[in-house]
Amino acid sequence: MQHRILIIDDEDDIREVAALSLETVADWEVEVASSGAEGLAQAIASQPEAILLDVMMPGMDGPTTFRELRKNPATAHIPVLLLTAKVQNSDQRRFSDLGVEAVLFKPFDPLTLAEQISQVLGWS
Amino acid sequence: MEPIAKPALDEVLSQMWAKFLPQMEERVAVLDAADQALAADELSIDQRAAANAAAHKLAGVLGTFGLTKGTILAREAEIIYSGEPETDPEAAARLLQITALLRGMIRNRNTMIHNRK
Repeated sequence: MQHRILIIDDEDDIREVAALSLETVADWEVEVASSGAEGLAQAIASQPEAILLDVMMPGMDGPTTFRELRKNPATAHIPVLLLTAKVQNSDQRRFSDLGVEAVLFKPFDPLTLAEQISQVLGWS
Repeated sequence: MEPIAKPALDEVLSQMWAKFLPQMEERVAVLDAADQALAADELSIDQRAAANAAAHKLAGVLGTFGLTKGTILAREAEIIYSGEPETDPEAAARLLQITALLRGMIRNRNTMIHNRK
């Protein structure tokens, strides 16, 4: 089944590999945004089924973007998965406590990224 | 749609790697400049922050392109650059070593991946 997902990440290499992975491996429809503000506007306009959100971004970072998404009635229902290269336990706990669906880690395997997301969201 | 075969994905990743190679090399250059400054006891706060960010970005992306060891090394550099600002000669020497290893891996990524097949 084809799903629609929005990737928000300021790093173009990560953004492009993640998009390529989800489009080619899983045949999902992927939209991308390069900042929290852009991602927020895009989420409101296009209503993706899920959002893959980078943590460390200049300006509005991942946690701030997530809070804005939750505050807005137009996006509050959209599941969000954080994507981070932070591996320390304290960071992981902090991110999990935000209330996101899951925290996924960089580097990810392009061959299994869609499967990871599907498992979290119960997409078969 | 049938899932894409691993060899096909590897091929696309190699093409994408070529596109982003200058960006990877730029991050290594940031690390290199900071390593040299640290070794000379001239590392500024801004330069340390830039090196920390470059190491973090490399740690987050190299494994995705098959360079798992590169992620481990970059993460080690990130930890050192996020630590105490005082110059530690051992840490400075290790950073120079890490950056040289990363440079080699990044330069030879496609050959290394091809040889693994």
